[in-house]
Amino acid sequence: MDVRSLLLFSALLRVLLIIYGEWQDAHMEVRYTDVDYLVFSDAASLVASGKSPYQRSTYRYSPLLAFLLVPNSIIHPSWGKFLFSASDLLVGLFIHTILELRKVPENLCTCALMVWLFNPFTFSIGTRGNCEPIVCAMILWIIICLMNGKVLQAAFWYGLVVHFRIYPIIYSIPIILVLDPHCFLYGLKPALSSWVGQGNSTQSIPSTAVPESCGIWIALTSMFTRARIMFGLISGAVFFAFTGLFFYLYRWEFLHEALLYHLTRTDPRHNFSIYFYHIYLHYEHEFSVVERLISFLPQFLVQLVLIVCFAQDLPFCFFAQTVAFVAFNKVITAQYFVWFFCLLPLILPWSNMKLKWTGLSCILLWMGTQTHWLMWGYLLEFKGKNVFLELWIASILFLAANTFVLIKIIRYHTYSSLFQRLEFSSSDNDLKEGKKSN
Amino acid sequence: MPPSTVSYHMESWQHVQVHICRILGIQLIFLVGFGFCMSSSFVSCEVGGCTSNVGSTNQSLNIPPYFEKHITKSYFDKYDSLLDSDFLDFISHELFPGSCELLLDNLNLVLRLSVQQRSLIGDGSHRHLSSSFRFNIQSELIAELPIHFCEAIIIEKLPYGIFADPFELQHLLQRGVFMGAAVFGDTNLELPSVHSNRSLVEVHMDVDLNTFSRHKDGLEINIDLPLHIRYPPLEESGYSNIELGAPDLFMRCSIEAKSHNQSCLLMLKDNGVALGNGPVVWRVPSGIKAHARAVSIVTFISAILSTLSIVLTSVYYSSTKLCKNLKQS
Repeated sequence: MDVRSLLLFSALLRVLLIIYGEWQDAHMEVRYTDVDYLVFSDAASLVASGKSPYQRSTYRYSPLLAFLLVPNSIIHPSWGKFLFSASDLLVGLFIHTILELRKVPENLCTCALMVWLFNPFTFSIGTRGNCEPIVCAMILWIIICLMNGKVLQAAFWYGLVVHFRIYPIIYSIPIILVLDPHCFLYGLKPALSSWVGQGNSTQSIPSTAVPESCGIWIALTSMFTRARIMFGLISGAVFFAFTGLFFYLYRWEFLHEALLYHLTRTDPRHNFSIYFYHIYLHYEHEFSVVERLISFLPQFLVQLVLIVCFAQDLPFCFFAQTVAFVAFNKVITAQYFVWFFCLLPLILPWSNMKLKWTGLSCILLWMGTQTHWLMWGYLLEFKGKNVFLELWIASILFLAANTFVLIKIIRYHTYSSLFQRLEFSSSDNDLKEGKKSN
Repeated sequence: MPPSTVSYHMESWQHVQVHICRILGIQLIFLVGFGFCMSSSFVSCEVGGCTSNVGSTNQSLNIPPYFEKHITKSYFDKYDSLLDSDFLDFISHELFPGSCELLLDNLNLVLRLSVQQRSLIGDGSHRHLSSSFRFNIQSELIAELPIHFCEAIIIEKLPYGIFADPFELQHLLQRGVFMGAAVFGDTNLELPSVHSNRSLVEVHMDVDLNTFSRHKDGLEINIDLPLHIRYPPLEESGYSNIELGAPDLFMRCSIEAKSHNQSCLLMLKDNGVALGNGPVVWRVPSGIKAHARAVSIVTFISAILSTLSIVLTSVYYSSTKLCKNLKQS
């Protein structure tokens, strides 16, 4: 099956699911549509009537999302679902583009693409009205821009995506590091490392180049390159421009609901995070600064080590960071999983993990611990049983499963820098005459 | 496939991608600009000053304009939180301006609450409060009163820990289940009980006294209100019992007066009629304080162990791969 047929079939599947979702909402007690979609739609209708989207309680997103869904009130309430599903398909297209640029064989590209397009979690999330596919599409587009040497474009979209959803801030340091002057020259299209078969690293190290173990040291000493400065300035400017614009429109309500809430969020209600019960049991008193720092330390340490070890293999670094970020977060909801699902196809061609039986055991363990948690969650929320302890133990097991899967993925991954180190000849004119990208 | 054809397809495919991205970018700019124009006359809602008034269907039922107001809205203009004593004062002094004494005295004779039944339907954190009220009506007297239109108003003063979702009520309103519904007070859906305040639900139901007066069973009002629970304070037993008090019932009628029509509000007392099946108690699972220390310790140990596992694996395998790369070069 070629890519176009895959995308067409996936598009048809999503359209049918959206239509089915409308039918289920109208005829059944349990709605197909995500509760968040109703929040977005209400906020969009408030914007359409010239009001603040933050009059809708629990709307904790950028006003951009409400603007995008204004046609819900004008054209049809399902407009947003079609938009999110289209973003979902765009993610598939970008996955294929990225793998093609790295010369992954077509059959592997297609398999990787199918992992995204036919993942039940993936196609249900957009059709139910969740906005995460838009974020995923932006992140993959940023990777494509970097691969094509388009630093300014990458910076623009990065500033925008961090405004839209704060979590991509964790990618800032790896992006800065990957703009290594030994691999990336501003204005020139970088040389990409190609896929050469599983088990073989594509990192070629010229004899005159500094060994990779000193890559981080060089990165630190030569931090202020033109590409890095431009990326930092442009992305920062875009972020502050959008934030400033919406602060001008909606004042502190925007700042609190769309930004500060996410930075300080501690939710005592049950969720996949191991911290929920601890937060509930201590909710009557404020957490001290020391307690907050201690709970933040695992997240910080893991992110730092993953960046230091894997930054040059950018897609893999993004993936590992996202899995760890979600696993160690104070609040985990199912929609966060799509943040790393969209990056998984980018690393699969470089994985030596066999489906039988390591791959299958990872899948079954991850899904099994999730299902186990959901069972206790159902008993607590819908049957009124006191199973807080059991539910908390289930969340510990889920963290263990996430850790196990991440360790296995790291173990079986063939490290491959995104960019090849540039060959510096005796004359720098060879580089200056290279293909310009911006 | 010859390389030139491959590169042609790749270039065409890239052009398609660029085209798609341009379309999306233009749409995004258009929608942002459109939204910016829409927002130029926004209304800011201050924290703590919002009420979730889901509105009513007054316009479509030709209901007099002086009926539009929710009778308890002004309570939260005056008081910060819902207290039973304050609410009693509010009912006594602010809801009954005194201009309808004659009508109210007559209406009191006409309506008698005979039965009220309440029960919680469902399990878990999301249930329905089912309430049923029956009134005896003296039909021969009701015809003599100059009543134009009536509605029943039910005020549920929700205790700490129970809340109604205003958006859910709006959905019911749109389906015509209620004539009007509003939630006042603390409408934050996410806070646990310890950090939240009480709220109040006001529901309006259409009542045609003349129609009901012809039924020997009298007037019956049934309400099914969806309610949700907040996380309760910690309890040693692991459960918290929350009691739902009786609602306040009102009848508001428009009467035809000489100079202009006016509305009159009557509080329907229970006349000592007990609840048909006892008080409504919602048993909610709660956290157990005795777990606190062990849960904190095990949580942080788990986090540390996971962190160490990932850190050691990352360092080991990245340095192993680096050595392998150096050997290969």
